[in-house]
Amino acid sequence: DVRPGALVLCMDVGFSMSNSEPGQEPSFEQAKKVIQKFVQRQVFAENKDEVGLVLFGTDGTKNGLAEDGQYENITVHRRLMMPDFELLEEIESKLQPGGQQADWLDALVVCMDLLQEETMGKKFERLNIVLLTDLNVQTSADQLDVIIDSLKKARITLQFFLPFPVDGEDRADGGGDGPGPSAAPVRPGKGLSRQQTQGLEMVKNIMTSLEEEDGLEEVYTFSDALQKLSIFKRIDRRPMAWPCHLTIGSSLTIRIVGYKAVTEEKVKKSWAIVEAQSHQRDDVKRETVYCLDDDNETEVQKDDTIQGFRYGSDIVPFSKVDEDQMKYKSDGKCFSVLGFTKQELVRCSPFMGSQVVKVFAARDDEHAAVALSALIRALDSLKMAAIVRYAYDRRSNPQVGAAFPCIKEKYECLLYVQLPFMEDLRQFTFPVLENNKKFKPSESQLSAVDALIDSMMLVEKDEDGESVDVFKVNHIPNPQFQRLFQCLHHRGVNPDDPLPPVEPWLKRDLERPQAVSARCQTPLQDVKTKFPLKVVVKKKEQKTSADVFGNQEHAFTLTSIPCEVSHFNRRSLFQVGSVNPVRDFCTLIRQKTVSFDQACQQLTHRIEQLLGNRSPEYYMKSIACIQAFRDQGAFLTGIFRSSGICSSKVKNRPSAHVELKTSCLQHALLFSDALTLISKDEVDGSTFSKQDANQVLTAFYSLQLTSFKKFV
Amino acid sequence: MAEWREYYQNEDDEVEEDEEDSGGYVYTSKIISSDKDLVALVFYGTEQSKNPRNSFKHVYVYHDLDSPGAKHVQDIDKLQGEKGAQLAEKTMGSGETSLGEALWCCSNLYSDIKLRLSHKRLMIFTCRDDPHVGDSAKDRQARTKAADLKETGVVIDLMHLTKPEGFDVSLFFCDIVSPPEDESELGLQTEPCRKLEDLQKRVRAKELKKRAQSRLTFSLGEGVNLAVGVYVLARTATKPPAVRLYRDTNEPVRTKTRYFHAHNGGILLPNDMKRAQVYGKKQIVMEKDEVDEIKKFDDPGLVLMGFKPMERLKLHHHIRPALFIYPEEEQISGSSCMFTTLLLKCSEKNVFALCRYIPRRNTPPRFVALVPQREELDQSQTQATPPGFRVIFLPFADDIRTVDAHVGPTASDEQVDKMKEIVHKLRFKYRSDAFENPMLQQHYRNLEALALDMLAPEPIEDLTMPKVQMMDDRLGPLVQEFKDLVYPPDYNPEGKPAAKRKPAESGGGGAEKKPKVEMSEEELKNHVEKGTLGKLTVPVLKDACRQFGIRTTGTKKQELIDALTILATRLNAN
Repeated sequence: DVRPGALVLCMDVGFSMSNSEPGQEPSFEQAKKVIQKFVQRQVFAENKDEVGLVLFGTDGTKNGLAEDGQYENITVHRRLMMPDFELLEEIESKLQPGGQQADWLDALVVCMDLLQEETMGKKFERLNIVLLTDLNVQTSADQLDVIIDSLKKARITLQFFLPFPVDGEDRADGGGDGPGPSAAPVRPGKGLSRQQTQGLEMVKNIMTSLEEEDGLEEVYTFSDALQKLSIFKRIDRRPMAWPCHLTIGSSLTIRIVGYKAVTEEKVKKSWAIVEAQSHQRDDVKRETVYCLDDDNETEVQKDDTIQGFRYGSDIVPFSKVDEDQMKYKSDGKCFSVLGFTKQELVRCSPFMGSQVVKVFAARDDEHAAVALSALIRALDSLKMAAIVRYAYDRRSNPQVGAAFPCIKEKYECLLYVQLPFMEDLRQFTFPVLENNKKFKPSESQLSAVDALIDSMMLVEKDEDGESVDVFKVNHIPNPQFQRLFQCLHHRGVNPDDPLPPVEPWLKRDLERPQAVSARCQTPLQDVKTKFPLKVVVKKKEQKTSADVFGNQEHAFTLTSIPCEVSHFNRRSLFQVGSVNPVRDFCTLIRQKTVSFDQACQQLTHRIEQLLGNRSPEYYMKSIACIQAFRDQGAFLTGIFRSSGICSSKVKNRPSAHVELKTSCLQHALLFSDALTLISKDEVDGSTFSKQDANQVLTAFYSLQLTSFKKFV
Repeated sequence: MAEWREYYQNEDDEVEEDEEDSGGYVYTSKIISSDKDLVALVFYGTEQSKNPRNSFKHVYVYHDLDSPGAKHVQDIDKLQGEKGAQLAEKTMGSGETSLGEALWCCSNLYSDIKLRLSHKRLMIFTCRDDPHVGDSAKDRQARTKAADLKETGVVIDLMHLTKPEGFDVSLFFCDIVSPPEDESELGLQTEPCRKLEDLQKRVRAKELKKRAQSRLTFSLGEGVNLAVGVYVLARTATKPPAVRLYRDTNEPVRTKTRYFHAHNGGILLPNDMKRAQVYGKKQIVMEKDEVDEIKKFDDPGLVLMGFKPMERLKLHHHIRPALFIYPEEEQISGSSCMFTTLLLKCSEKNVFALCRYIPRRNTPPRFVALVPQREELDQSQTQATPPGFRVIFLPFADDIRTVDAHVGPTASDEQVDKMKEIVHKLRFKYRSDAFENPMLQQHYRNLEALALDMLAPEPIEDLTMPKVQMMDDRLGPLVQEFKDLVYPPDYNPEGKPAAKRKPAESGGGGAEKKPKVEMSEEELKNHVEKGTLGKLTVPVLKDACRQFGIRTTGTKKQELIDALTILATRLNAN
């Protein structure tokens, strides 16, 4: 039973928020962006948490506590609800700076009231209030203790987002990973107004009394928040518990619970197909038909098909029912130890699967906890791991995996990773590198790389001599999601605009840290001079038309072949390539670098290849080729002995031709007049009589007709 | 991935037989490992002759080059055992031996094949190390023919069978077989007899050719680029895909999928369709190209970010099986030297390289750790681990889940020591190829049984099952001693903590399946407005979809909710 969280965004829109120093973005705009980003993430990640929005400093007043001039200029913009697109649009268009100022403590009380009222009778995993303000207002602190008390009682957590860092000195040397151009001015303690200094003291007071010494970690700057959205209190749902028994032999059993701790998070939603004009899903019908591989492509019903598997050149019929009956059956979920082995033996084996499972003793079972603890500690001190058979449930296939001991300050667990089966491994051997004379690096090369590595270390020592990781991948949100959300949001608000470019902060997240980039300049130049690296130009590579013509755009239609002889003469062409066979073919005929027969043969060959691919683009191409044949045929009637190639091709493989027409019906329609076969009337050398041509045409048209009937 | 591999598989193996058993092994394993390969079976030293032009005496082409099927295996089976020997005597007999003639015949078989073969291999099965018994003319002819074959790219392997006094390769066959090619630099040579043992293992696993998954540029920055090939050294093997057959004739059928307009029946071309997703009650529409474009961040390649000490690589940061990279000298010359230097230095300094990795066009980036791996040889001087970098995928913030740890009491030293004894008793040496996938093995055996008309499939040994009896024997009284230390006497770990669902089930009649409740339009609208559809279960949602006549393709909860939400907004609009 997954319970969502409830969160109130409380934003200061008072007039001081709109003030800014020249060249700086006003606090209001920054705070608005933070809210936008957050809601965007919630909407597109389809988070079930309910979100409310309270604004203070508004011209109007709208809240449940407003009475007798109290709690004025505070507006409950949206009560607790799952965030949706409407909220995003409202923030975009309706969230405007106000002309008043309001006490942020009053606003906090309104939020608490809202939370209490809305969550009455409902169960929420977590209650959280997020305050975005510049603290630039006179506050009355007399109620502070009462407020802190009721926050504690209601188990409401708080987060503050301010335009300046809470502790100037600690944070003066930058918010860690490369502050961007939009970063807020870092004004440690200085330049703050009297109210702000006073407000800051109160913030510190509240936060430390709520969460003791860790409290201040929940106070952020706007720029921090924009860079790392993950700092929003993680109120995502908990992973599913997987209760099971760990067994060793037949009589030793420990009650355990597993949780997915690491797993690749995929995009949750797939794209539906809609009709281009109406944007309706129901307007698109998808049909899958089964047909025999004969000339008529006889359709058969799905019920008349069974499944089979290849066994060498044979296909063995093997119905689903039989398969289910005969297939391997596992006997339910298990976590059974097969034996114990040295950790190092497992570590050199590849890990399989896409997850790591953390295994704990069953909750509130102290005996199981002791038993599992004994196992974890024994394995840890012996540097060993357990090899286990793991089956998730009755329907899933069993795995073999390793359970490593993991002892942390606060807890102990086993870490389970899947190991390979013999069938999964590919035993490839590679030529020697190290003792190979050809690739042996010189001393100067070795020292150049040595220096490069030293200059590019992503782990630095801080003042206390503690090493700090400056590029933590597990702190970077997956850019794929960020980009997707950005584009969805943009398209949702501006349906007719092109997609926006990737946001600069997102790009920056994926780049090498600037400090490292600067440091490695010299060593990198040294490496560059010491290692000759050259792109090998392959001589044998076939020249395609793209090589010959470059990437220039040519106006090239089927009926008018441009005759820029000067251009063609620059380089000679010998083959009909696959990129633009029609153009190559025409060039060949004009250049006479190969005989006409050869050119025709080459094109025929290409058509054959193209027909081998069952996709409309290729059919289009092959139609263009046939058309080119036709045009050239008519153009060069005198010497066109070989037009038969095309016709014979069509004649010899009628199935191919029919296929071409059926699968590409509407394309064919466009080209139907162009696709008549070359008849005797047109070309003397053609082996096709007019009658033949007509016959094929009639067949073609009747085919169209039947197909149409089917669809209408 | 399997599709493009099969594309290139034109390998063709030729088996020369003295002993039928081995041939059978080759067939049954070939059929599973690489079913597109062509295999022929040729006997030499027979009385009867049978070959395409009947120009060779004492050479019997039992099977011409063809992809092996069930019939081939059955044919071979017939030659096995005592009965088989009689049959062999009857059909082929034994006569004069001339390896040269046999090789010549084989080269004809190869040249008769019109397909382009990716590689040709000829395996000679024999137990005679001096087949022509001192006939030097025949020896010479055989050597010449072997040389000819090798020139046309045929690799000749010797699969000699054990012989009491030992098989002396140097007598004759050393001139016939191909030297280990490509890997000659390694100076490695597997013993021929080991190869036969390998063959007899009857490995039922799909064999894959060494082939780079992709070739990429590895950029160190500032235009310092090298080329690497990306290889898959381990990937979860799955059951080969099923083929649809027409019930009446057992011939394969093709599927065609098309899209057409629900109202006018016209076929919809790719341009007539767009992609859409629904979020927060709003449908967002994009072109197919745009959907691809969203995933594009940069061109494919590896870009170096920097280096980190090995201890920064967390064991539990695993999201995908690792890949492997090796330099591609053919694309950028000098790559191997640069690569080797990096490998040596990373390994010496005990660091890994952190890179941004984009495998293909329109694929979002991932960060990977390049972990140096130096070459290791096993006892028989065969490469156990190849030299190169392992490519380990690192999780993003989204991939890591917050797990609330269970905190409980910890074990005492006495308890831990007892467990150590248990662990000690059950030690074994783990090898990554020691476990077969029982699901796959069962599938292959089922197929084999059906194809070869066997009564029942050969039983599999499920190596993933714990050998409980053996473990109990080894542990003896240790288990009870441990249990006495950690569990109170009345504790039963197998028992459920609290029987949650039992009462409802045993309650009988009353609490059976809930009757289907129809959802009214009003209720639906209500749910949508309040956003409470998510609280309903999938079956309920499905019923509702069915009831309102909504076609649902997906079974995902969110898709059902979306469909109902759209319906509700339309109802509201009306």
